[in-house]
Amino acid sequence: MYQFLLTQRYLTSKVMPLLAALAVALCTAMVIIVWSVMGGFLVMLINSGRTLVGDVTVSWPITGFAHYEELIKRLEADPEVAAATPTIETYGLIGLPDGRTETVMIKGVDGPSYTKVTDFADTLYWKPIDTPHVKDEFKDDVRLNNHTLWNFVFEGGKRLVRFEKPERGNVAVERPGAVLGVSVSGFNIREPWGFYPGQARARQPDGTLKPVQTILPVDGQVTINVLPMDSKGRAIDMVARSFPVANEFHSGLYEIDHKTVFIPLISLQQMLKMDRAEKSAPGDGITINEKGEEVFAPDTVIGVDPARVTNVLVRGKSQSFESAAADRLADRVASIYRQFAKDFEGQVPPSTSIRILTWEDQNRTMINAVRKETALVLFIFSFVSMTAVFLVLAIFWAMVSEKTKDIGILRAIGASRSGVAGTWLLYGAAIGLLGAVVGFGIAYGVVTNINAIHEWLGEKLGLYIWDPKVYYFSRIPSDLNATHVSIVLTGGILASCLGALWPALRAARMSPVRALRFE
Amino acid sequence: MTMTATDTNTPVLRATNVRKTYQLGRLRVPVLRGVNIDVRRGEFVAILGASGSGKSTLLHLLGGLDAADKATAETGPASIEFESSDLIRLSNGRLDEYRRRRVGFVFQFYHLLPELTVLQNVTIAAMTAMGKLEYWAKRSEVRAHASALLERVGLGHRLLHRPAELSGGERQRVAIARALVNKPDLLLADEPTGNLDRVTGASILDLFSDLHKGGQTMVVVTHDEATAARADRVVRLVDGCVQPN
Repeated sequence: MYQFLLTQRYLTSKVMPLLAALAVALCTAMVIIVWSVMGGFLVMLINSGRTLVGDVTVSWPITGFAHYEELIKRLEADPEVAAATPTIETYGLIGLPDGRTETVMIKGVDGPSYTKVTDFADTLYWKPIDTPHVKDEFKDDVRLNNHTLWNFVFEGGKRLVRFEKPERGNVAVERPGAVLGVSVSGFNIREPWGFYPGQARARQPDGTLKPVQTILPVDGQVTINVLPMDSKGRAIDMVARSFPVANEFHSGLYEIDHKTVFIPLISLQQMLKMDRAEKSAPGDGITINEKGEEVFAPDTVIGVDPARVTNVLVRGKSQSFESAAADRLADRVASIYRQFAKDFEGQVPPSTSIRILTWEDQNRTMINAVRKETALVLFIFSFVSMTAVFLVLAIFWAMVSEKTKDIGILRAIGASRSGVAGTWLLYGAAIGLLGAVVGFGIAYGVVTNINAIHEWLGEKLGLYIWDPKVYYFSRIPSDLNATHVSIVLTGGILASCLGALWPALRAARMSPVRALRFE
Repeated sequence: MTMTATDTNTPVLRATNVRKTYQLGRLRVPVLRGVNIDVRRGEFVAILGASGSGKSTLLHLLGGLDAADKATAETGPASIEFESSDLIRLSNGRLDEYRRRRVGFVFQFYHLLPELTVLQNVTIAAMTAMGKLEYWAKRSEVRAHASALLERVGLGHRLLHRPAELSGGERQRVAIARALVNKPDLLLADEPTGNLDRVTGASILDLFSDLHKGGQTMVVVTHDEATAARADRVVRLVDGCVQPN
């Protein structure tokens, strides 16, 4: 019991141990902040990776595969599958209103079913909003007003159409439209801290930004250029088609927002010659028509080439983010595909060749890179944090020397060697606990306000540490994970105990008589 | 270790042929050269000697704070018997227990813990003698006992003061209360008035006399004849040997 009394008294009467606690606090805070940001980065990467691809993808790139409607029907009949949707992915060129032409990933999707499988609708940028962004002090965001217009644009975005006034009558005409990543056009220029002002702007030659009247979903049009291939993978002539902009999307993942364009599935199928087509043979010689004239014999229809898609995206009923849940669903999908391939043998890719990938498989390279980077950074910072152990050791060594007489007194009144060692270890643990708690407080404050801090640094010092073009995301992510925090706090306490161990053993080994005579 | 009550004629403590040698580099310095001493229950024994005579070393050995030399064929058997146990042969754990429960120390320089209050300086000795749960269960009782002891030594009004706020005499009274808190069989005092003025020293000796009258067995080490005169019996130590009367 005397160990608790002395620990409490030493803690409140000495400055030196508080310095040790401060060292533990700073090291603990540092590791928690790093782990939270890197962990948040990983979580956001995973979530964003899933946002637009669903849980499992059946993929046969470039040429695509046929009878996908039947596959989707079979998949949706499975109790573990919530929905499935066909898509086509291809690279192409986009001609933008400002005259630029960019290389982009073009995705052909079926709006209604795609929104069931992915969170596409949530990512649509042009929609009515009631409260401005905290940084939009002057309420410049055009989405705050004219909600009727933005409701139309939002609905159009979900279906990849733009509603336009008809030349005659009152019924709006639906034109197949494109949904661009919010950073594709160049009109939505993000502030350094990740905020899109909701007002289109154009960069001037002198580097300044000038508001422009162009609102792409209202009056913008883009040209999509793709290179179709035949079923053997041979390129056919380039195909170009203009699309009005139906909406823009903001996934938060810069690489996607900068390089992706959605257009209706049927449009892309037509452009890539992947739509349903009749196979015909040239007519045989000359024949007589109904009017009695000689004409060339018409082509004979000899079969039908069914429509093809490159991907079928599947969403499971489980909401789990665990890899195992996606793996289980991938197994179910593979099993369904095996039967499908058997039934359509020769018409669809064999089950041994088709690619069935989970959301994690598709982002594995990036996810694994971030995981390894997280582990490496944590290792380095934990190693750096070991300085706290030596700091505690040095301070405790000095304190044991200073308190030599106290140790002699304790031994004289009957304290055992282990009791004396326990006093110093308990003291070390208390320093560690205090440091860990303070460190957690610092880390919590930093992590929960990391974007505000970053913004402040940018405004006051011009220091933008987090460049979204480099780090993919528009905001600094963070994930204060309870398990990670517990591990770091326990580590901080143990590190402090470790630092106190040697001085504690030294104190325990002291001869009581020599300790009492110490001056 | 079996420590049982004994009658008043049986020595509580018996040191036989006790030797202590310090090693100073290559030099062996014999401090005690075969000391024999008995202390009976209720007795007040003064160990009188000049500086360097080995009297403090002897007190440390009697109190289990230091270890005596092991017996050899040349020096013959040695022992420090407390009741039926030989301190020389006790394990460290048993010696700790001996210091916790059977003896109380009073030092010349008081040796109080500066961060603790007067009351805490006394109760901490009780804490060492009890397990955590036992202390927790009896903490009110312990505090009351410590307060009563401090009241008895005249410091009832100073319970929450720190040692730095006390005079030398008051500090020594706290040290005496601490030594008594576990109701020890034996009170060992090393020059208890050596750091005090005459008047204060006399008051401390009066306190010792009162304790002795109450039946407390005491061994006081001193170089002062007047202090020794208060004892029932004086053992004179010269150059590490007991001088015959």
